[in-house]
Amino acid sequence: MKIDIKKLDIAKAHEHLIKGDFTSVELTQTYIDEIKRVNGDINAYLEVFDDAIESAGSADKEIAEARSAGESTLLGLSQLIGIPCGIKDNILVKGHIASASSKMLEGYHATYDATVISKLKAAGAVILGRTNMDEFAMGGSTENSAYGVTKNPYDISRVAGGSSGGSAAAVAMDGALFTLGSDTGGSIRQPASFCGVVGLKPTYGAVSRYGVMAMGSSLDQIGPIGKTVTDCEIIFNVIHGKDRKDGTTIDEKTYENGDASAKPIIGVPRHFLNGDGIDPAVIENFNASLETFKKKGYEIRDIELPNVSYSLMVYYIVMPAEVSANMARFDGMRFGLHKDGKNGIEDYFLSRRAGLGREVIRRILLGTYVLSSGYYDAYYNRANAVRCMITEDFYKAFQTVDVIVTPTTPSPAFKIGEKTSDPMAMYLEDIFTVTANLTGMPAISVPCGFAPKDKSLGREVDLPLGLQITARHADEKTLFKVGKDLLGEL
Amino acid sequence: MVTIKELEHLAVLSRIQLTDEDKVSLVKEFDSILGYIDQLKKVDVDMDGSSRVGAVKNVMREDVASSSEIVGSADFAATKGETRERLLDEAPDREGDFVAVKKIIAQDIKL
Repeated sequence: MKIDIKKLDIAKAHEHLIKGDFTSVELTQTYIDEIKRVNGDINAYLEVFDDAIESAGSADKEIAEARSAGESTLLGLSQLIGIPCGIKDNILVKGHIASASSKMLEGYHATYDATVISKLKAAGAVILGRTNMDEFAMGGSTENSAYGVTKNPYDISRVAGGSSGGSAAAVAMDGALFTLGSDTGGSIRQPASFCGVVGLKPTYGAVSRYGVMAMGSSLDQIGPIGKTVTDCEIIFNVIHGKDRKDGTTIDEKTYENGDASAKPIIGVPRHFLNGDGIDPAVIENFNASLETFKKKGYEIRDIELPNVSYSLMVYYIVMPAEVSANMARFDGMRFGLHKDGKNGIEDYFLSRRAGLGREVIRRILLGTYVLSSGYYDAYYNRANAVRCMITEDFYKAFQTVDVIVTPTTPSPAFKIGEKTSDPMAMYLEDIFTVTANLTGMPAISVPCGFAPKDKSLGREVDLPLGLQITARHADEKTLFKVGKDLLGEL
Repeated sequence: MVTIKELEHLAVLSRIQLTDEDKVSLVKEFDSILGYIDQLKKVDVDMDGSSRVGAVKNVMREDVASSSEIVGSADFAATKGETRERLLDEAPDREGDFVAVKKIIAQDIKL
């Protein structure tokens, strides 16, 4: 049958593969052709792997074997078997380049598979290639990539968001059925929101980070980007779980959650949505989403998060501090770029200068500053104390509600170049997303409509908006439930 | 709020070479970022932290020894050499089975 990728999601594609309507090789080839057709404009992919068709062939073989073994074997196959996906360039796929969109790792080949990749491979997923990102995941627009900006499929004069901009754009342009991203302060949810797709930042520790380049180790999580909430749930169920190679991973018993009420109660931190710089179209759309929830019978309660307005300040202390430590590994000696100096110490200075981009250098220096003697208590220790106060605010709120909703971003996708000269303006993009990383709680961004086109604002087309839903630790299932209900997937 | 001299010190600590132009723009950017995060200094916070419960949950395990998956596997001997080669292949410079770097001590030291 003719494959119409615009209408496919994982669940549907799986059904077709099982029924034999088309093969994974045919499906994979369709995606590769589509990437060839549109990637020149969008730049979502840095590379399409030459072994994708081969792994699709293996998936087809496994499906054929299961078919001859009988229906129960066929129905027992993973839903990801033969499903083509894209992988953010900071996640290691053995034998392939993993550059984190940095000059520092331009020719670096991954020496092993990340745990999430082992799990995807074991499920039979087909890895199409690696997707563009802000260098080492530092940025909110994918403009910090050393390999060119990723453009928004809705309007190529605008950014796709970041740092997982390539992963979000790849799904939005039908260049994959799903992708993986990483999220340290919103890097999955913000680009998902900008590109009109679904993005999940799981609970801290839910997904192993073994084989993923560390940025902010107390904040980082890996998560899926997909077309539907159901797809993200399927992927999450495959990639999550305890991993002895990542000591921060949690198991089912780490957090005890009862089953949320049949109709989860929705909390809204109204006081947090009145700040400057929030686009009126975002607020209007957010209120419309609340109306939809009300019509569906949800109870909506106003909640107070007294310290939430400090989140972004805390984040821009804790994150650079952890960045400065994690980036110390790039020494130009063991792997990656090397620039030769007069002596060993000069090799460091020259290699790091030549390999690292502006934003990365800025964050290393900022992190070194807040950790340095004399400033440590004023910045890092204080930030950690306030981080705990914010988390306590959330615990308190979750005593009366089951999920908390906000817009994912303060505005729809902005113009390429609009915020590059002012780092602080770019940082403010993360205002609603960083809290989930600081508290470790899971959060999902679901597409919830559009900021209507408005020529007076330079908005030539309708631009997608996202609604962010946050839940208690390890309560992804309530996120999926509420998200599916909003998108009419139930 | 940050002087050029302080910035130069940070660059030395971070092992990053900066040009004069870099320094001028970084000082400006630091001012804007620090101006923002400095608002945190006004928050009334108990720095003692003994009453805090907000930290993410600690995960403990039994302290029992076990061999690593790779070491325990039958093809360890075969993969050991291959893994070493893969790792060494990524080094900018190697000598045999070692990563080659410049001499760290400038001259011989008599003990």
